[in-house]
Amino acid sequence: MTVVPQGEGGAVAARPGGGSGNLYDVLELVLDRGLVIDAFARVSLVGIEILKVDARVVVASVDTYLRFAEACNRLDLESGRKAPSQLTDIVGDATEAGSRGKSKGALTGAVQAVTESLQKGRGEDEDRESGREKQHVRAERGTSRRSSKDRSSKDREDREE
Amino acid sequence: MSEPMSVYVYAITKAEHPLDLDDVTGVGEEPAELHTVSDGGLSAVVSETPEDLSVARRDLEAHHEVQEQLWADGAILPLSFGFVAPDEDAVRALLEERAEAFSQRLDELTGCAEFNVKGVQDEDTLLRAILADSEQARELNESIREGGGSYEDRLALGELVAGEVQTRQSALAEEVLTALRPFALAEKVSPPSQQYFVSVSFLVEDERFEEFTRAGGELDARLGEDAELRLRGPLPPYSFV
Repeated sequence: MTVVPQGEGGAVAARPGGGSGNLYDVLELVLDRGLVIDAFARVSLVGIEILKVDARVVVASVDTYLRFAEACNRLDLESGRKAPSQLTDIVGDATEAGSRGKSKGALTGAVQAVTESLQKGRGEDEDRESGREKQHVRAERGTSRRSSKDRSSKDREDREE
Repeated sequence: MSEPMSVYVYAITKAEHPLDLDDVTGVGEEPAELHTVSDGGLSAVVSETPEDLSVARRDLEAHHEVQEQLWADGAILPLSFGFVAPDEDAVRALLEERAEAFSQRLDELTGCAEFNVKGVQDEDTLLRAILADSEQARELNESIREGGGSYEDRLALGELVAGEVQTRQSALAEEVLTALRPFALAEKVSPPSQQYFVSVSFLVEDERFEEFTRAGGELDARLGEDAELRLRGPLPPYSFV
């Protein structure tokens, strides 16, 4: 489990600047929760819409069925869980430009789009970002799966356009 | 994008909150200075709205850091990102108008924090388990892999597997909720998504942080390699305002 105490983990966690590694995990809370004041204007945030669209479940649909069927067909049943498909891992890394996606485990493309805009917003945080990646090494095992999810979410967007 | 006089609002606190803002700055490329607006026994922490306010890391982080800093010193109602009042008088009017409700909520949230828990499951591992358990799924999968499966077979396999995925993930989600619920005052469950088999925030009293975190660790260990729990907190009570 990735347990990250905040605010009580000593001075560092509670100080400004210490929060950069936390931002990704609280993104949904900062954008989608919190007090809403209807009387005030809200800055237009395309990213919020994307997050909400992505959160829906698509279980009972032909698209989902075909995706699961394809995922089952692709499984290397012989090698078992200890040997993830190395080819898929390589493809996954190449499409995600280095370490950027690694901490994100099971995220789909739409959420990544928001994250990318966050990263563009503060380029000098790149180094602190990669520091954070190391805390989340366990999340890397999601890599092979993510590549197929990215594809399916992209397909979905294409169809919806 | 906004009038120079408009104010960006971060959080609402009781008037007696220490409001220590020395170590944080507001949103904007040239971070706006934070100050407070008070009325009705409450304070709102605000800054001038920058011209270039945007949903970018810089501003989201500033917003969150101001809230964390304030929350470390006492109860707050953290605003969702991006709310701008036309001027300080509008903020005062809001504090006055909703003084009772805000005060009551701040009292209820005193001594509590939010913990967010997300469960992630490796899809390949899950699919292997389903194929191992279901002879029908295995047969369909094998016939499709050998090139003999029709479109209907693929749909049938997918439907079977999707149903199993949902059943298993719902059961896992329920297991997580059941294990952690006893340590929390309240919970807010996000709708199911493709990323997480469970995504839930709990409101936890200060004196139960340790118990809650320990229970989360034990649960994660019990789930083993099949699933991973990500627990974040304590956080300002975003989901319980």
